[in-house]
Amino acid sequence: MTILDLQRVTKRFGDKQVLKGLDLTVPTGAIFGFVGENGAGKTTTMKLILGLDTLDGGQITVAGQPVRYGRAVANQVVGYLPDVPAYYGYMTSTEYLTLCGRLTGMREPDLSNRITEMLRTVDLPQNKHRIHGFSRGMKQRLGIAQALLNRPQLLICDEPTSALDPNGRSEFLKLLASLRGEMTILFSTHILTDVERISDQVGILHAGVLQVQGNLTALKHRYARSQVQLKFASSAIAQQAVAVMGRPATQTATHVAVPFQDDYAATVAAVLKALLAAHVVPLAVDRQETSLEDIFREVTT
Amino acid sequence: MSAILTFWHKEWLAAWRNYHILILAVIFVIFGIEAPLMAKLMPDLMKLALGDQFSIKLPQSTSSDSWQQFYKNTSQIGIFLLALVFSGTVSQEVSSGTLVNLITKGLPRYAVIIAKYLAAVVQWVVAIGVSFIITWGYTAYYFPDDKSPHVWLAIWPVLLFGLFFVAVVLLGSTVVNSNYAGFLVAALVFASLALLNYVKAVKRWNPIALVTDNLDLVRGTEKITHILPACGVTVAAALVILGVTIWTFNQKRL
Amino acid sequence: MHNSELFFNNLPLFVPLMFLELGLLIAALISLYRRQTVRHGNRLIWTLAIVFIQPFGAIAYFIFGREVD
Repeated sequence: MTILDLQRVTKRFGDKQVLKGLDLTVPTGAIFGFVGENGAGKTTTMKLILGLDTLDGGQITVAGQPVRYGRAVANQVVGYLPDVPAYYGYMTSTEYLTLCGRLTGMREPDLSNRITEMLRTVDLPQNKHRIHGFSRGMKQRLGIAQALLNRPQLLICDEPTSALDPNGRSEFLKLLASLRGEMTILFSTHILTDVERISDQVGILHAGVLQVQGNLTALKHRYARSQVQLKFASSAIAQQAVAVMGRPATQTATHVAVPFQDDYAATVAAVLKALLAAHVVPLAVDRQETSLEDIFREVTT
Repeated sequence: MSAILTFWHKEWLAAWRNYHILILAVIFVIFGIEAPLMAKLMPDLMKLALGDQFSIKLPQSTSSDSWQQFYKNTSQIGIFLLALVFSGTVSQEVSSGTLVNLITKGLPRYAVIIAKYLAAVVQWVVAIGVSFIITWGYTAYYFPDDKSPHVWLAIWPVLLFGLFFVAVVLLGSTVVNSNYAGFLVAALVFASLALLNYVKAVKRWNPIALVTDNLDLVRGTEKITHILPACGVTVAAALVILGVTIWTFNQKRL
Repeated sequence: MHNSELFFNNLPLFVPLMFLELGLLIAALISLYRRQTVRHGNRLIWTLAIVFIQPFGAIAYFIFGREVD
């Protein structure tokens, strides 16, 4: 099942070709981390998905329905959290959520119950305070409340964590993770550790196309750079170790890195056996995982 | 339809909380009182200014003086103040990005323009209507003469002109991303129409007649039928401009 | 004929005008002192304008001086 599908999407601003045939598929139920450098076109892609901007070419389908500019056919399906949400400062949070709810076709008494529920979820008080007095964090939380208000099937968040402090970020990621199973989430970011913490799917946007996308574990496997790090007393011993090991390994000063594919334990056992047989003893053995950063660096350079 | 209604509610809340309704109410009530007041004071003020050495008999003020003052205030200041209050209505929302959220929730773009247009036209009609009724009351009380036979007829063209003028403000506010663009475009259009009036042939068709010929209508020196062509042009132009505004807004990147 | 006579002869006109301008003055000052920032100038300038240039100071404040939310 696919909730969001982009095919050969192109978009240019003036003489700058931002998207050059972008293909993106988000399976239903996924938490999809949409990664790219600043200015790579993440916000543009999201605006296209939301029908806020015109497509130059290609096709976008949300929940089986094609997206057309200016007609948010998918408005009942999609919730959107902009990077910097802009509100009417003269309204209270309840008034703003009522406006949003009415526009998505929600009616009383469901609407006011849902508003009370959402404000409690994001930990905002339900009172007469106007939004212009809200802090950055409160506005972000109101943003989540409005995005989730109509129980969307697909939640789109544009750089949701970049403006938050470490505590706020951690809380926000926890909230997103808690929505797993209730809805599909597509969130863009340039903070790779955020993606590793909660995503199961990832897509890397670079040079106008999606360089890679798929299940995070599978990708790590494919771009496996998993290594066993061995430390020796001197570089001479390290050199000797590489010679006796009988498998590909790279030496840097006193360190030796041994890449492995599948089983860490088996690799380490084999390596140590070979080393001990030659009476070469390492000072330390450590495991190095493939990180998203490794994949990112590999596909963007 | 329901989206227009929802956004219309939002527009009134904005007008109220941003003090626009308060400003308009105070200004237009002041205008309503000021017109008969000036008419009433004029002879006395002249006397004070000239002193006693001139024993010229000054003519007493009439209801016609009161209405002259009223239409002068309305057409020279009133309608521009309205334009100023409505000036940023679209541009401000576009530059601050407040519409993005609502559009993605399914608010059609045309509903934004239509709701804003209707709310502004109603404010126009009520503001001018209130000042008219106040002037009417005082004038009937202080100047019970027969110099202004068609008081109730003469105000309609001003209200009708609002359909056109508000559309122009909205177009300006949509095309240019500046808070004063709506006002400036409207002032420019008004000035062009005033210049156009020097061409005798188009005078009867010029929308500006709706706010310049009112005193003649009050006095009965001009029949309403004389400006009917201008009324037609005004309504037609209002619809066309409103359509262009919606089209422009549809193309706009938010 | 004096100014005061002009005033007392036209009380029904002057009294509502005075109330309106007073009301506008108070509303403008309350709004001005309840917010953190103003556009075009500072609080002192707007206070002087609102108090001494009636009623246009207050109107100008509401249209130009209020920071829009």
